[in-house]
Amino acid sequence: METILKGFGEVVKTVTFRVRRYDPEKDKSPGYKEYKVPVQKGMTVLDGILYIKENLDHSLSARYSCRMGICGSCGMIINGRERLACQTQILELNKDLIKVDPMGNYALIKDLVPDLEKLFKNHRAVKPYIIREEEKADAEYLQKPEQREKFAMFTECILCGLCVSACPTNGADELYLGPQALAQAFRYIADNRDLGFNERLNVLDSKHGVWRCHFSGSCSDVCPKGVDPALAIQYLKGLLTANVFVKHQQEGAAKGEPRKSVLETL
Amino acid sequence: MRESKLMFLQYLTGLLILIFGTFHFLLLSYLAPTTNKVLYLYLGNTHQLIGGTLYYSTVKEIYTTLLWGAMFEAFLTVLVYHAFNGFRVILSEQFQGPRAEKIITYTMLVIALIIFIYGSRTIVVLLTGGG
Amino acid sequence: MTIENKKGWISWFNPFKYGLDRWMYALHRLTGIVLGIYLILHIFETANILRGPVTWNSIMVSLDWPFGVHIGPIILSLVFLAAVYHGLNGLRLTIVENGLLLPRPYRPEYPYKAKSIRGLNLVLKIILGIVMVVIGVIGVLYIFTGVLI
Repeated sequence: METILKGFGEVVKTVTFRVRRYDPEKDKSPGYKEYKVPVQKGMTVLDGILYIKENLDHSLSARYSCRMGICGSCGMIINGRERLACQTQILELNKDLIKVDPMGNYALIKDLVPDLEKLFKNHRAVKPYIIREEEKADAEYLQKPEQREKFAMFTECILCGLCVSACPTNGADELYLGPQALAQAFRYIADNRDLGFNERLNVLDSKHGVWRCHFSGSCSDVCPKGVDPALAIQYLKGLLTANVFVKHQQEGAAKGEPRKSVLETL
Repeated sequence: MRESKLMFLQYLTGLLILIFGTFHFLLLSYLAPTTNKVLYLYLGNTHQLIGGTLYYSTVKEIYTTLLWGAMFEAFLTVLVYHAFNGFRVILSEQFQGPRAEKIITYTMLVIALIIFIYGSRTIVVLLTGGG
Repeated sequence: MTIENKKGWISWFNPFKYGLDRWMYALHRLTGIVLGIYLILHIFETANILRGPVTWNSIMVSLDWPFGVHIGPIILSLVFLAAVYHGLNGLRLTIVENGLLLPRPYRPEYPYKAKSIRGLNLVLKIILGIVMVVIGVIGVLYIFTGVLI
């Protein structure tokens, strides 16, 4: 058999990919199609999908870009669990049947391509930016390294959306914010430069906000970058409970020396 | 703002239920005012109840003691809050929208009040010497 | 035209393929619903004390021998175990879901295993398991045999 990927050696075995197909112009509802894919050592599920697309069925649609686990495009449900397709080795799955589904809890556009609008809408709803009293700052806000460590891990989110697909509350509750948005809300509230706790409070403390999380931990379980959104949400719950008794005060960073822009010195 | 207060009460009533519940189980076993501390004491091989911690006179004795009667009333209060708030959370995860919220909240409130009043009637009537 | 792809209301009771926490969440919800329904029935059952000793005792016996089969202790044991699990797990959740005993923020390292569901949380789960087994054995033994330890 000819080499599919140069430099990966001979074909170890052939597996069956059972892929969820849905063409909005042709099908009424999704169905499954099976493809036989020869596997070389080191092939990822994304490689398998691209093999299908190049050699077996050109109409298969999937989202992918960097193929190295940093862009967050290729989130899928592979053998029942949310994973990044480019980070999942076919041989490590130890099965001869690989079931590939698009991520759940999002609207479906075509085949394996979900409509991530819900993820971005919820993210915007928690105001994911530094909120200060002034619109334009003329100097930077100061932050020590230990102040950054309090929230640095939550900045690693690549917005792949796997956590929202895995969350059991997201499965039933349309209006739930989701672990990604809630973790980012904590990332900004815990940032010492931010002063926007009260602005975000209504959205977080609502009937479909932070309290609909029941710590099933699935989000942290599937996160491909180890962001641990469940940890952020439990920290956030602690902040909100304490806020019932003593109003939460944010640090609000001092400003550095005001600098003149280069244009002014000319 | 209100949701965090409701959830704080959910955790608090949960802890209180653990405490009162332990007493409830202890009253059925170790602390029961009978000599024979078994749930059902039958006469020989028949199905006739003659003693045990679930026997009428044992139960009545516990309920007519002011300390335990008051404890059961407090137990009922925290239980009703915790259970029906819990049901409200589960139901509002299944059905969204302002109309659904209203229906769920009011239904749970009404059933909670019915259960609370009916249970309190038992406790209060026994404590004041009736039954 | 996009279509819906929700996992649906049953997804809370689909704990396969995820970690231990997902199973504990599903069991917590299941025991919660069972105990809530039991509470409602129990309030109606205990109100019968006001109907006098003869009615009360005969109702107690018929609950011990429903349809003539001695499965009363089994039902009581299941409710007891559900209450013990729900209570102990609820205690763990009360601690952890209010920001206590959680790991401090860390930098994720490959293979990116989340620390919030391991670490001290795992210790709490192990303690929960041990205490539940001990109390469960004592309780179920008492319900079936009346032997107190």
